[in-house]
Amino acid sequence: MRTWIAVVGAAIMTGFAAWMLFPTSARPQAEGDAAPYTAPRTADGKPDLNGIWQAVNTANYDIQAHPARPALALLPAPPRSGSPGNTRATPVELASPAVRPFGAVGGVPAGEGVVEGGEIPYQPWAAAKKKENAEHWLERDPEIKCFMPGVPRATYLPYPFQILQGANKIVFAYEFAGASRTIHMDPVGDSPAPTWMGWSRGRWDGDTLVVEVTDFNEETWFDRAGNFHSEELKVTERYTPASPHHLLYEATIEDPKVFTRPWKLSMPLYRRFERGKQLLEYKCVEFVEELMYGHLGVVDPATGQRNK
Amino acid sequence: MNDRYKAGTLLLAGAIGVLVATYGSLPTSTNAQQADAAWTQTRTAWGDPDLQGVWRYEGAIPLERPARFAGRESLTDEEVAQIQKVEEEQAAQRLAGAEGAAVARRSVGESPIRGNEYNSFWQDHGRPRQVSKQTSLVVDPRDGRIPYTPDAKKANERASARYGVGPYESFLDPDTGERCLTDGVTALMWQGPNGGHNRIVQSPGFVTILHEEYLDRRIIPVDGRAHGSIRQWLGNAVGKWEGDSFVVDTTNFIDRTNYEWAAIFTRPSETLHLVERFKRTSANSMEYRITVEDPATFVKPWTAVIPITRLGDDTQIYEYACHEGNYAMTNLLAGGRVDAAKKR
Amino acid sequence: MSTKFATLLLGVLGLASSAGPAVAHHAFAAEFDATKPIKLKGTVAKMEWINPHTWLHLDVKRPDGKTERWMIEGGPPNALYRRGFTKNSLPIGSELVVEGFRAKDGSLKGNGRELTFADGRRLFVGSSGTGAPRDGKDR
Repeated sequence: MRTWIAVVGAAIMTGFAAWMLFPTSARPQAEGDAAPYTAPRTADGKPDLNGIWQAVNTANYDIQAHPARPALALLPAPPRSGSPGNTRATPVELASPAVRPFGAVGGVPAGEGVVEGGEIPYQPWAAAKKKENAEHWLERDPEIKCFMPGVPRATYLPYPFQILQGANKIVFAYEFAGASRTIHMDPVGDSPAPTWMGWSRGRWDGDTLVVEVTDFNEETWFDRAGNFHSEELKVTERYTPASPHHLLYEATIEDPKVFTRPWKLSMPLYRRFERGKQLLEYKCVEFVEELMYGHLGVVDPATGQRNK
Repeated sequence: MNDRYKAGTLLLAGAIGVLVATYGSLPTSTNAQQADAAWTQTRTAWGDPDLQGVWRYEGAIPLERPARFAGRESLTDEEVAQIQKVEEEQAAQRLAGAEGAAVARRSVGESPIRGNEYNSFWQDHGRPRQVSKQTSLVVDPRDGRIPYTPDAKKANERASARYGVGPYESFLDPDTGERCLTDGVTALMWQGPNGGHNRIVQSPGFVTILHEEYLDRRIIPVDGRAHGSIRQWLGNAVGKWEGDSFVVDTTNFIDRTNYEWAAIFTRPSETLHLVERFKRTSANSMEYRITVEDPATFVKPWTAVIPITRLGDDTQIYEYACHEGNYAMTNLLAGGRVDAAKKR
Repeated sequence: MSTKFATLLLGVLGLASSAGPAVAHHAFAAEFDATKPIKLKGTVAKMEWINPHTWLHLDVKRPDGKTERWMIEGGPPNALYRRGFTKNSLPIGSELVVEGFRAKDGSLKGNGRELTFADGRRLFVGSSGTGAPRDGKDR
């Protein structure tokens, strides 16, 4: 009898030890898989997302996975013919003359992409337009002209942004061009007109700030690769605190005029916790006036000469 | 003439009826900026005085004292009532678009709104502007005039003369607002082409002012830190609470005195220094006091006191896409080329 | 109007102008030509809600049957929104009559000094349909 109890007892203890040491749902560590984090609360009991945040990736170059490239504006590669090694060398990609002087400073770094599933489900006409946008990047990218970047591009531009949680309104202040968004946490009427940064309505889902953004115009891009949308764009964002120093960001894109189905992009956002960190000015309108208007007046300020 | 007067009176009566129905009572000088005795300062969840909301200067007080009020810091009750009446009539006329119709019948040269051929219906909210006893926003120096240096005074006269006139030979010739850059900090709380709306948002450690125009935005730390050293168009501001007053000290402006400014008193130089005091005096009013110091533009510091109104909770700040479609710039430059061709 | 009213009116305007340009920017005389008045009838093709001036794209049918695309400068949109005037108040295809002045460089641009719907209702003015209070002029 005693032996029987000892064996069963040992078995139970072993089993218990095994259960503790080897979790049955063993799976590889994935992003965000750490023990769920509960954000501290603001004085009025809401999850505290206040702070300065920044994405660290190459999404603004191209939200899809991409190898490194010589420049943002390229000359088309000439066709190849004959068997390799038996014909003279041909170039692959060359920087377009307008950006060539930048050298490696003007290059595009490689990136794994932030689009879930990798594919952007363009309708056929829209896929062709995206390609055309990329080929005409220099003339068409609104970022070049310091236009407001829209959503979600504002999130992953290579500049920080600040979240400021007030009573009923949360301000998202972006360093680039001084663009801002007011997230309405209280009931609010409709946007009177289409806008660059959209009209944002927010709510809490546990610790996650969910923002629905509507009433966009058709002017902004998603990146420097020509990815675009129409005025029917709707973006649903989720900002989830994942540790004291980072948020997980997801944006679901819906635009029935351009895409065949909704799609999603996601990335971590890192806290800029340097002591005394502040958002600084990037009032870039001044930087682009010569580019946009220098040739239009009687005189060109860059040369002091009369324009033709 | 008679018919117009009768029509105007009828319109006035109708409009006043609408105003009374909508706003409950007419703003009077005695109520406008007097602290409501029953009101106590509301506070944020962490205990700071609450300044949040959308604010706007809706007054009829000129910045500098007009010559006919020289030596007088205050209007009499009778004068206030008289100006109040005119403001109400004006508001009714604007609502009815009567001003626009009158403007349309005049030549551009005769227009009382030189350079701006639009009915001011476009700008206002249909409410009469508030009248108060102040004869000028400038309260120090006591003559109510901004103490410009001789050079700055000339610059100011030049700015007024060239406003709307040019010449416009390059993108440098329009003023900073026409270039969609900024109108500066000094008048940010009380001026603006669309009527100067500001939203104040408070979060722990920061007071944020979202100015509707030009994407101008001030995120003011209230945690005792020193001024940042990087020079900016809007300078570098630090704030603190003194009792229920929010005091902001701003320095480290970038020098842009070489640009054209519509109002010289707003231009930033490296020696510009602003001290502002925000004190909420009732549920819907705030006293905003600004002291401006800059040896590059003024012979001594000067102070203005501006009564600011809190608008209803459903008031929004709307997007100000200006640079994104600055057709005025291309039109000005095209017009400039036409002028230059004519001269040859 | 009575002399007293006129005096007060000028006084008030005097007060207004000394507070600085209430609506800054966009120099009429530098962009548009007061000697070239225009009166156009057309349909709204597009509205750009740009500050401080909206830009209306108008398709104007010429006597020879051709259609011209004009750009008309309107007033500030943000003030319109607060008066209840939104994108729904001026649908694409609305027929408008525009009176104003042509761009100095002769291009198909002008400022919309006076805008009315085809039925005579003045645009942006306190009549029903724009959300502004009724002004007694509605029929």
